[in-house]
Amino acid sequence: MNPPGTPLTPSLSPSGGERVSERRERGIFNLLRVLLAKDLRRAGRNPLPVFINLLIPLCITALVGLAFGGKSDSGGLGRIRFAVVDEDKTVLTDFLRGAANQREGGKYLEPVFLERDEALRLINDNQISAVLIIPTNFSRNYLLGRAGVSLELVKNPAQSIHPAVLEELLGAVVTALNAIARNLQSEFPDWQRVFEGEVDYKVVAALIERAGDKLKRAGKFINPPLVLYEKDVPTDASKDQPAGAVKRTTQKADPVSGIFGYLLTGMAGMFLLFLASNATTDLHREIRQCTFARYHTLHHQLSPFLASKLLFTVVVLLICSTILLGGGGLVFRVAWRHPAALAGLALGYAFFAAGLMAMLVALIPDERKAGALNTVVGMALGLAGGCMFPPQGLPAFLRDHVTPWLPTFWFVDTARNLQYGSGEVAWVSALLKLLGLSLVLLALAALLFRRQFRAGGRP
Amino acid sequence: MGLLRVEGLFKAFAAIRAVDSVSFEVRPGEIYGLLGPNGAGKTTTISMISGLLEPDAGEVIVDGTPFGSDPQKAKRIMGVVPQELAIYEELTGRENLEFWGRMAGLSSGDAKARASEVLAALTLTERAKDAVKTYSGGMKRRINLGCALLHRPKLLLLDEPTVGIDPQARLNILEFIRGLRATGTAILYTTHYLEEAESLCRRVGIIDHGKLLAEGTLKELQERLGGDRLFVLEADLKDISPDSWAGFHQRFRVIQKTERQLVVSAIGSRDPSDCLKDLLGLPVQVENVTLKRPSLNDVFLQLTGRDLRE
Repeated sequence: MNPPGTPLTPSLSPSGGERVSERRERGIFNLLRVLLAKDLRRAGRNPLPVFINLLIPLCITALVGLAFGGKSDSGGLGRIRFAVVDEDKTVLTDFLRGAANQREGGKYLEPVFLERDEALRLINDNQISAVLIIPTNFSRNYLLGRAGVSLELVKNPAQSIHPAVLEELLGAVVTALNAIARNLQSEFPDWQRVFEGEVDYKVVAALIERAGDKLKRAGKFINPPLVLYEKDVPTDASKDQPAGAVKRTTQKADPVSGIFGYLLTGMAGMFLLFLASNATTDLHREIRQCTFARYHTLHHQLSPFLASKLLFTVVVLLICSTILLGGGGLVFRVAWRHPAALAGLALGYAFFAAGLMAMLVALIPDERKAGALNTVVGMALGLAGGCMFPPQGLPAFLRDHVTPWLPTFWFVDTARNLQYGSGEVAWVSALLKLLGLSLVLLALAALLFRRQFRAGGRP
Repeated sequence: MGLLRVEGLFKAFAAIRAVDSVSFEVRPGEIYGLLGPNGAGKTTTISMISGLLEPDAGEVIVDGTPFGSDPQKAKRIMGVVPQELAIYEELTGRENLEFWGRMAGLSSGDAKARASEVLAALTLTERAKDAVKTYSGGMKRRINLGCALLHRPKLLLLDEPTVGIDPQARLNILEFIRGLRATGTAILYTTHYLEEAESLCRRVGIIDHGKLLAEGTLKELQERLGGDRLFVLEADLKDISPDSWAGFHQRFRVIQKTERQLVVSAIGSRDPSDCLKDLLGLPVQVENVTLKRPSLNDVFLQLTGRDLRE
């Protein structure tokens, strides 16, 4: 500072705007580089907002991991602990009980055999995922072919995915029991007598022999199965495939990673919009601090300034995508089958999300009002685009006439197809659509800002 | 020939005429003051000149070229200092200057060199590497000013650049601006501080409710009041009207009248002692009569009937 009384004297040489003008117009990329460098430097000096942005996907991943069981020694879901209440207590139910924790079943299932009251107490204490109740006379009714034979499953409402898996498994068991009943019905009276203790070894031997004969005859239909469902189609001749088509190979499906891969892509589609909204608050800050208006007094168009904000947001979103999809993939052991294509798609989606949020800022420059709008828009696009629910489950009109036009759907559906679909997935066309839309949104934002400046001086 | 010429500038926001047919010009090496209270239309005028806001009517001509025909050319020779501190608090003073220099079109090397010059001129070299958020209000104001100077603008628009800072910091900035005038820069300076306009500006335009009420040099404006001195009469003037004093309006022009005070100027070139005698002879209980030089506030008073400081 000057000492008191010492005037400030400018040591500036005479104005020479012409000389300066010769050095200008170094190109749009140079301008963008300077603007982006400024934002990155500012973010480095005040890293808290960026940390919060990065923390959000980390928290989301961790929360989902906790909610759905997270990592376990067996990978994915871990063992499902459930209670079996055998109120029938016959040889057949002993057989069912034993089957629950044998071989492969033991890797995923951890049954405990309890009385009904104790089992229900454990479910109330959230110590087990479900209770399977084999009611009294189950074996008798099943073998006699009586109507209304049922198994009872009490699911733990405090857990989400484990009870659902058990329900699916029980469905498979019921299907198998029905198939056996249809094919071996004529033998059931004899089997019933055996299960009720009338053990005549000759009769048992004859029963086993007849059952064996039937299985032998059915063998050629069962192993290998007559009808195959093949998820992926192996192709070697990929030379003629269009750009962006992905070569698919047969791969053993992991049902557990499949669930999380599906969830992660949807989550990324939804939360990247919210994260884009957070990252775009810097544009609100520039409006509030009048640095955006000051920039507008210079000889540049508005679009480079907005483009730099878009790039800054894209950088943040790419880091967040890596955390969500990469980190989440590691936590849930999701082996992304086409990481490069997925990364390209995430890049396009980041551009779209940033462009959308820039346009929303231009539409509503007030930060508080914009926050509410961004959340609503993000949720609506996410839900209608099939991020949180499978698009097949959406209302027919929405599914058929709205969802296909939504960028969230372009991203999520293409990403899921890359991971689970068969045949060629034209991810490049989805990427181009997202990038194109981003440019349109950016141009729209510039137009809206220009109009606001003209009308009121400050957005 | 003015470097900046404003002709019939008009802007309305709904029913409010923010700027109503304002015309003036600023010449090279001149500081032109736009003086008016808050809400008078000063910032709206500067916003239209700088291209932030589109006028409803009128024209801005910069260096002989209408702004609308080539805004980029006009903007290249302008430097705009907004009333708000439009700088990045997280960045250092030097980084702010270099950034705005780059934005104004300087190369990286030129921006660095010019930033050093401007920092030295603003006596901020020692704090150049500190984040702006650690600066005092006066230092921030100086950086805010400096950011517009990197590209050596021929025309500088200053929108109340000293608002909210202490008197010493204000004096320093005013001295700096006087120095800029010496370099030939044309400066449009808006303020609501009378002293700033009086001490800094060669010509002053008085603006209120969007209208330019008067303009000229301080002397020219003073002459509007009828001379270079005013008489302030203190008395109990409640329920008394000068209209009732015979011949008063032939000898004096009333600038302001309150219950306790009457400010008048003499009509014609009369001797001050004669004027004093006339005033002391008025049919009221005079407590005091003083002479003073007319200020811009008196001009404003005469033009609007209000005190600029109100």
